[in-house]
Amino acid sequence: MISKRFVIKRLLLLVPVLFGVATFVFAILHLAPGDPARVIAGQRASEQFVQQVRAELGLNDPIWVQYGRFLVDAVQLDFGNSYQIQKGTPVKQILRYKLPVTLEMALFGQFLGILFGIPIGLLGAIKQDALSDHVTRIGALSGISVPIYWSGPLLILLFAQILNWFPASGRVASEFDINPITGIITLDTLVRGNFAAFQSAAMHLFLPSVVIGIYSMALISRMMRSSMLEVIRQDYMRTARAKGQGSKITVMKHGFQNALIPVVTVIGIQFGTLLGGAVLTETIFGIAGIGTLLVSAIQVGDYPVVQGTVLMFAFLFTLVNLLVDVTYSYLDPRIEQ
Amino acid sequence: MSSDVEPTLRERVRRLGRALALGAALAAVAVPVLVLSGESVGFASEKIFAVGALVFGFSILGWSGSVFAGRGIENFQRHLGGRSDWSEADSRQAMAVLGSVGLGGMVGTVLATWVVAGVT
Repeated sequence: MISKRFVIKRLLLLVPVLFGVATFVFAILHLAPGDPARVIAGQRASEQFVQQVRAELGLNDPIWVQYGRFLVDAVQLDFGNSYQIQKGTPVKQILRYKLPVTLEMALFGQFLGILFGIPIGLLGAIKQDALSDHVTRIGALSGISVPIYWSGPLLILLFAQILNWFPASGRVASEFDINPITGIITLDTLVRGNFAAFQSAAMHLFLPSVVIGIYSMALISRMMRSSMLEVIRQDYMRTARAKGQGSKITVMKHGFQNALIPVVTVIGIQFGTLLGGAVLTETIFGIAGIGTLLVSAIQVGDYPVVQGTVLMFAFLFTLVNLLVDVTYSYLDPRIEQ
Repeated sequence: MSSDVEPTLRERVRRLGRALALGAALAAVAVPVLVLSGESVGFASEKIFAVGALVFGFSILGWSGSVFAGRGIENFQRHLGGRSDWSEADSRQAMAVLGSVGLGGMVGTVLATWVVAGVT
């Protein structure tokens, strides 16, 4: 049973993380060249109009006043309105539509990573130095070494262009008109009972998820193998086998749960990489998620969108790590101490 | 910065105070220097404050990251065979010092701006 005190303590740690991210993003945007008032007013606007916009946005106030105002607004999840991407629309509203797109991809990627990474790592540890171990190790090292901007186009070329098994871009075939409920399209189509649309969405999601999940899978399998090898050599494992327990049962019953602890850490840390990878993956596969939104916002100098998006990324990352901590304490209750 | 012997509270406070003063002094020098080089007080104030905030924000992130994932990273190093001298406690201490420099810079900018704006 996980204690409430432990969870509250970890939840409180979210505050400095988000405060740090907010301060960091605020500072970077104020150090970057370019005038937000000029971005809003347009390059041909008169100086008088630009000054009017500056006054309206409070950009003439001292920077520490702007910093304080930004922090107070950010606490209320008010990141202001978009300057350029969707002029005048609250950033909160834009994120509400874009976030599920990226989340869906990152979660499916992580799911594939876990689904294949753990058994591969386990196999490598149980059959150490066998042919299967060498093959999976080479596969894992390749997976860690291959960058997304290379594996993405390569998979598109093979599976979309040559074999024509999966679509190269988008989220669902254009013939389907989906009314969003959660924004996670595979879930929405299932809830609405539109299985043809679900199939189309799953097919569209497969390649981006594989691209984003390869690295995760490689790292998880390496970690699982190394952790399992360490656990297998522990005295309690030897004792269990000496008492006559079968090798497979010993590994699964006593070893697996203990070996999972460092793997769970990697899964948590890895989620941040997945979100970062989403920026590249969405660009390659033409998916309009939070990643492409961030790239476009940086390109046009839409500061409120940049701030909101980065804070959302940070919030998700810390939330996943909180889940990891909770899982930790479930796997090994001593950690709560 | 090895942490074989834990520093006392007084030692820690003194260390943070020194870092805070250093940040404030750096900002107090940087603002007038920028103004003397031909920039406006507003520009100098904005850029130096932002640099201080950058250091402050980075250190808070580093500090909380160390608390959040420090033990995990230590395990990670151990399991992947990339053992180094990095430890969660050392990282926290270093980030606290860095954060004090950043915070000092922010406070120093506010004070320096008031003084410089009053003089000019």
